[in-house]
Amino acid sequence: MTGAITSRALALLFWITAAVIYLPIGVMAVFSFSAARYQILPIPAYTTEWYMRVFTDGQYSAGFLNSVLLAGAVSLAATLIGFACAYSLVNARFPGKTAFTLLVLAPLAVPLLLVGIALRIWTTMLGLQPSLPLAGVGQVLYVLPLAVLNLRNRIAQLPKSHEEAAWALGASRLRAIVDVILPACRASLLATFILCFTFAFDEFVIAYFLTNFSVTLPIKIWTTLVTGFDPTINALGTMVFAFSLMLGVTAQWLLMRKDR
Amino acid sequence: MSRPPVANLWHGILPALVLMAGFFLLPILYTLGLSLTAEGTSGLTLANYRTFAAEATLTDALLRSLILALSVVTIATLLAWPMAWYLAFCVTERRRVPLLFVLVAPFWTSFTIRAFSWQMVLADSGIVGAGLRNLIGSDVSLGFLYSLPASIFGLTLFGIMLITLMIYSSMVTIDRRLIEANAVLGGSSWTAFREVVLPLALPGWIIGTALTFIVAFGDYAVPTLLGGGLQPVLAQVMLSVLKGTYDLPMAATLASVLVIVILLCVAPLLLLVRGTRLQS
Repeated sequence: MTGAITSRALALLFWITAAVIYLPIGVMAVFSFSAARYQILPIPAYTTEWYMRVFTDGQYSAGFLNSVLLAGAVSLAATLIGFACAYSLVNARFPGKTAFTLLVLAPLAVPLLLVGIALRIWTTMLGLQPSLPLAGVGQVLYVLPLAVLNLRNRIAQLPKSHEEAAWALGASRLRAIVDVILPACRASLLATFILCFTFAFDEFVIAYFLTNFSVTLPIKIWTTLVTGFDPTINALGTMVFAFSLMLGVTAQWLLMRKDR
Repeated sequence: MSRPPVANLWHGILPALVLMAGFFLLPILYTLGLSLTAEGTSGLTLANYRTFAAEATLTDALLRSLILALSVVTIATLLAWPMAWYLAFCVTERRRVPLLFVLVAPFWTSFTIRAFSWQMVLADSGIVGAGLRNLIGSDVSLGFLYSLPASIFGLTLFGIMLITLMIYSSMVTIDRRLIEANAVLGGSSWTAFREVVLPLALPGWIIGTALTFIVAFGDYAVPTLLGGGLQPVLAQVMLSVLKGTYDLPMAATLASVLVIVILLCVAPLLLLVRGTRLQS
C-alpha cells in the first residue's frame, strides 16, 4: 500500500531517529570506561575504576539500597491497591464511576512537579515531617494508573463463567477472587509489579520534595550532577540504564505472553 | 447473568479513593487555594497573580516554557506521523513489536540520566564539538548546550517516542481493507492518508500531543541540565522559590499558573477528541 521508495525513506527516518535516541547512552557507556576524569577524546586509557567506585562509595550504595526498598514497597502497595480497584471497576456498579476512573488516571496527565509541590505544601500544612515513607505514599499514586490500567485489561478478559462456577459451588465472593481471579492474573500481577518498580526506582521529583535527609539513588545522581561532575556517574548511569531496560523488557514480555 | 452471592463489590475502590483524595486531589486544590492568599491580608486576594504579571523574570519564564512546549509538540508531531505510518503499514506484523521496543526502551530509564548523557554529546568539548574540530581543524564554539534550543531538542526526542506510539496504536486498529479499497479505486497513498488514516488516527495524535505538552511544559530536569540556569523556565523558577525563599503562596501561584495554562492548551484538544468520536 506504500511505494517501495517511500517505504525505504520511512525506514531510514525511523533508524536515524533511533540512532539519535541511543547515541548519548552509547557515548556515556564508552566514557564510563575512560581513565580520564573529564570527557576528552581520544580516550587515553581504559579502566573499570568508576564501576568499582560505585560499589565502594558508601553514598551510592546507601542510595541504591534506599531506592530498592522504597520502590519495592511502593510497587507492592500499588499492585495490591490497583488490583482491588481494577476488580471493582470491572465488576461493580457505583455512582460516579467515570469520575473516579478519571481521578485514578489523572496523575498521568499532571506534571510531576505539580504533584511534588502540592504534596510538599499539603504535608507541611498537616505538620508531617518529610521522610522516605511519605515520599513512598506520593510515589504510589504516581504509579497507580499503570497498575490499574494493566490489571483492569486483564480482569476484563477473564471469562465470567469461571468466577460464577466458584460461586455456584458455594465460594464466597472474596474466596472466588483469591482462588480463581488471582491465579489467572499471576503474570499480569508480576508484570505490573515490575513495571511499577521500574518507574518508582527512577522517580526523582516526588522523592526530592518529600524527603530531607534520606537519599535515594536518583536524588544522589541529581545532587552530584548539579554540584559538580564526577565520572562515577557515567558508570552508574550505564548500570541504571541496563537495569531499567532489563526490568522493562521482562515486564512487557510477561504482559504479552499472557495474551496468548 | 447469574447473581453474585454478595452485593455489588464496589469496596475495592476504597483504598485508591482514600489515597487519591487525601494525597492528590486535596493537596492540589489546597495549593490552588493557597495562591489566592497573601501574608498580612485576610480573605481571598489576587495579589500574588498581580505580582506575577508585574515581574518580568516570571512572565519571561512563562513565555519560555510556552515556546519550549509548543516547539517540542510541533517538531515531534512532524516526525511522529511518518514514523507511525512506517510501523503500522510498512513492516510485517512479526517485526512490529521488536521495532516498538527499540523506540520505547530508552525511555524506561531515568529522565535525569538521559538528559545528562546529552551533555557529553552537545557540550563544546563533547562528541559533536570534537567531530567538528577534526573536520575544520580549529576550535569551534557551538554554544548549543545551556540554551533553550538544547532543551527543545532533549524533550522533542521524548515527544517523538510518545506521539509515535499513540498514533501507531490508533493506526493498527484501522481496517486494512479500507486502504486497499482506496488503492483499487485508483487513490494514491496520499488520499489514503487524508481520507482514511488521518481521521481515524487523530484521537491517538491528540492524546500523545496533550501528554507531551504537559511533560514539556512542566519538566524541570531537561531545562536544568540542557537549558542551563541563566534563562529559566517556569518550573525552574518555581523550584527556586520553593527551596530558596520558601514563599509558599508564591510557589503555589506559579503552580496554579502552570495548571491554568495546561488546561487552556489541552482542553480544546480533548474536546476535539470527543468531536472526532462523535463523527465516527
